[in-house]
Amino acid sequence: MNTIANVLRNRSNLKLNLTQITRLSSNVSEEKIVIPKAIPRGPTDILRALESTVSRDPTATHYKYHDDPFLIPMSNMGKRTFAMAQEAGRKAAYWVREQHPDLFQHQEADPPIKPFFPKMVYSEDEVTEDTLKHVIDEVLIPDAKKIYKLMIEKGMEISKETQQALLDLLCFYNNEDTLSEEFIEERWFRNSAKEKVRKTWADGSLAEEIFISIENPDAAAYSAIIQGMAKHYQVNRAWQLFEEAQGKGLEVNTSTYNSIIRVTSFMKESYDLRWSFVNDILSLMNKAKTKPNLGTLNACLEIVSTMGQSKTAKSYALKLLKEFKSLGIEPSLASWYHVLMTYCKERGPVSTILNDILPHIENKEHTIRDIKDTFFFVTAMDICRNHLHDKDLAQRVNKLLHFGNNYNLIGDSYKESIYYRHYFIVLCETEPLDEFMENIYNKLVPHIYVPEPGVIAEVLKNIDMNSAVEYLPKIWSDMLIFDHTGRENLLNMVMNIMINHKPDESSELNDKFSKIAWGIWSKIENQNENRIQKLAFTGEMLGNIMIMVLRNNDFEKAFEVMQKLDKGMHSVVGVPKLDALSMFMDHCIKEKLPTTAIQCIQYLTDSGFPEAEDFAIRLNKSLTLDETHLGRLGKIVGEQFLQKKM
Amino acid sequence: MSVITRILDKNVVKQLPKRAAAYYSNKPNIEEDIGEFRVLYLKTSKAQAFTKKKYQKPEVLPPRSNEMPVDQNWGNVWPGPRTFHPATVPLPLRQGYVSKGSPPDKYANAELMKIPNFLHLTPPVIERQCAALKKFCTPWPKALSNDELCEKHFPFEVISSNYCHSSPSIRDPMARIVTIKFKLNDLKFDEKSRDKYLRLVGDRYNSETGYVTIVTDRCPTQKQNYDYAMYLVTALYHESWNVEAWEELKTEADMEKYIWENNESKKSVEKLFGKNSEDIAESKQYANAVINFMNEGESDYTLANYGDSVRILLGLPAKTNVL
Repeated sequence: MNTIANVLRNRSNLKLNLTQITRLSSNVSEEKIVIPKAIPRGPTDILRALESTVSRDPTATHYKYHDDPFLIPMSNMGKRTFAMAQEAGRKAAYWVREQHPDLFQHQEADPPIKPFFPKMVYSEDEVTEDTLKHVIDEVLIPDAKKIYKLMIEKGMEISKETQQALLDLLCFYNNEDTLSEEFIEERWFRNSAKEKVRKTWADGSLAEEIFISIENPDAAAYSAIIQGMAKHYQVNRAWQLFEEAQGKGLEVNTSTYNSIIRVTSFMKESYDLRWSFVNDILSLMNKAKTKPNLGTLNACLEIVSTMGQSKTAKSYALKLLKEFKSLGIEPSLASWYHVLMTYCKERGPVSTILNDILPHIENKEHTIRDIKDTFFFVTAMDICRNHLHDKDLAQRVNKLLHFGNNYNLIGDSYKESIYYRHYFIVLCETEPLDEFMENIYNKLVPHIYVPEPGVIAEVLKNIDMNSAVEYLPKIWSDMLIFDHTGRENLLNMVMNIMINHKPDESSELNDKFSKIAWGIWSKIENQNENRIQKLAFTGEMLGNIMIMVLRNNDFEKAFEVMQKLDKGMHSVVGVPKLDALSMFMDHCIKEKLPTTAIQCIQYLTDSGFPEAEDFAIRLNKSLTLDETHLGRLGKIVGEQFLQKKM
Repeated sequence: MSVITRILDKNVVKQLPKRAAAYYSNKPNIEEDIGEFRVLYLKTSKAQAFTKKKYQKPEVLPPRSNEMPVDQNWGNVWPGPRTFHPATVPLPLRQGYVSKGSPPDKYANAELMKIPNFLHLTPPVIERQCAALKKFCTPWPKALSNDELCEKHFPFEVISSNYCHSSPSIRDPMARIVTIKFKLNDLKFDEKSRDKYLRLVGDRYNSETGYVTIVTDRCPTQKQNYDYAMYLVTALYHESWNVEAWEELKTEADMEKYIWENNESKKSVEKLFGKNSEDIAESKQYANAVINFMNEGESDYTLANYGDSVRILLGLPAKTNVL
């Protein structure tokens, strides 16, 4: 219920700021009253201050989900689905409002919220330059295009500034509508890593039309169109226009130089050529007396990072950093990202440059200054894991990420999960298992990070190595929740750990292991019929399940498994280990169930175990069998076993 | 026609084994009908058996209160006001009434959800929030060390309320109301203007506490109401000092109480002694006695008092008890 949440009673009964009517008769001799000036604050400062007292609760999901066990997403898939479902609802609402603007004439909100207004529809009579300006300010690209066309049709005059603003807008967004800022979830879950580097520039679009329509385009127009083309990888024409502008002696702005540098690798093949090209551009900037900025540094470093493993690349990177430092340009996280990319190549020699970078950025709050700033953390953690295997460094990077508002620079959900994957594995490999489970696993899983099957496999491997089977029930319940139980390799790993590390007879782990084994059984038994890749029982798996339930003295379940083995001989691949059957036999004898035991022996012979006879002898020794049983046994293994008993 | 039926027949039998058969042909013995043509039964009978899809219970997380460490920061778990949730609150709460047995526990307990809770305002949280808000606060003026000084230097008390909703509108009609309180004695009056002021404010004056309270709510915004209240205070004060021409026409008969100075009693005393009443030593107590007698009415006490004062005024011996 969205009712009154809070009533702030503002009782100024101390009578301060409002009225200052002092008594006429007040004594002059008294101490002078000094009322301090109010400390200026913004409208949200109080909220921010209160928010700073709250930090992340590791037992809770992100606040965008409902805090209820039935509504908390439990797997990566779930997280995405739940969030996108909400987003879809939001989009549906937008759609309905757009379809039926007549139904939304009322204004609930006060002060009115602009994004909730129905969309404007422009017609020929109403458009003016002011509407165009307004639409450009609001980044409504389709509307801007439409209004511009209407104005051209009517032959209206458009001022140079507005035309330039429209050109900037169209070049920046490549004539396409953008994803509204309202849809944060879609932005968060959009897989930015999949965006390919390819030409996306719309040739012959309105931006180009506008550019052509300008007589004697000035430097600003050239800057806009060159940047747009370079941004969307229409490299050749960008370069052509750049040269044209140079030929005309126009001074394009710094960002234009930066965007040209950024696409160097599309124009020049060899590393040397790239470097000399970058140098040429930089000297052009120098000649034009254009001051470089952070973008220039990052563009240059990006090119250097594409120059392979050569030593020269590394020296170039250092040279650039030094040069720009002397210009007073502080490198951003993106610059360090490019440096890391230059130094730490997959197949190259190990470099500890991250150690040297961290002191520059540690214990500082960073804000985004370059679009690639968000790549730093994921790359740094990748290097900690794959390049250096250094847990201390990983912890330092993690600490930096959680310093102040630095978490904003994690990027998107994809980067976040890769970051945690690396962090998880590097610590899993290097930390003692107990500490890892307590400090990392229990804190991050499942709400902050849901381990992928590969990561779970890594944890299981570690449990196996450390014989820390007491963690197995917890991991198993997590696997159930994260829906990793459809993976045969993981199931086998869990089974093998349970088989290899036999707990004491009295240990309560026997019970838990039996439950896990039975969980595996029922998971495979009750699979969704529509599943494409169905899991199938193997004989070995069934044998292992049998061992686990028998260790817990649960004969009924073992019997069920035996039935499955016996009846499903054609569907079950392979045969169980002899240990399992031997154990089953022992329990049959204990329970005094000769019929079941004989069935087991029958299965043994059918599966071609030579030990069937031994089993028969054992049975005969331990239980006194009646005639029918002996007869059946004799049929199965041959009459001679009776003699052997003698 | 028959070709189509046959194809249909084939397909139906092959592809839609149980469900479709259950829908369209519900006669118990289907085998009987399968001759060249099958009979299509459109009417469904109630006895028909559906193979119900087996319901698989989804995996649900255990309540997260189970995994909460005892030394956790509760403020992070419950940062704002919200409805009670059993899986989030690690307390063995019970609420409600059943005729037998203990009150119901926290799961699915509507009683716990109905009542507002203050789980977001635990003492450590308040402490932390105060510490965070401290940077917006200025020190208290030293000269205003106690309440009396405050009242003396700032006699006006202005009361208004702000409301915070989670709704699309930030407005609340209650926020427009402004209340102003001050002590009547803080204003400078003579007797006449004070009387007039009291008549003007009416029941806004509380004679027990001595406070005048003015509440304004007729304007749409708080500021307008405040301004209006201030206007009222000013206008009332000056109006009470105004003397209209007709006020001079007030005669003795219009007086609401007896005033000795205006009356015959004073004149006759002065006449009797031949000097001004101020010069007569005993006139004061005589005047008081007359005022009491006239204003409070005739009673044994006022009458006796009056008699005594007359004796004193005229220098007669005190009354002796003569039967």
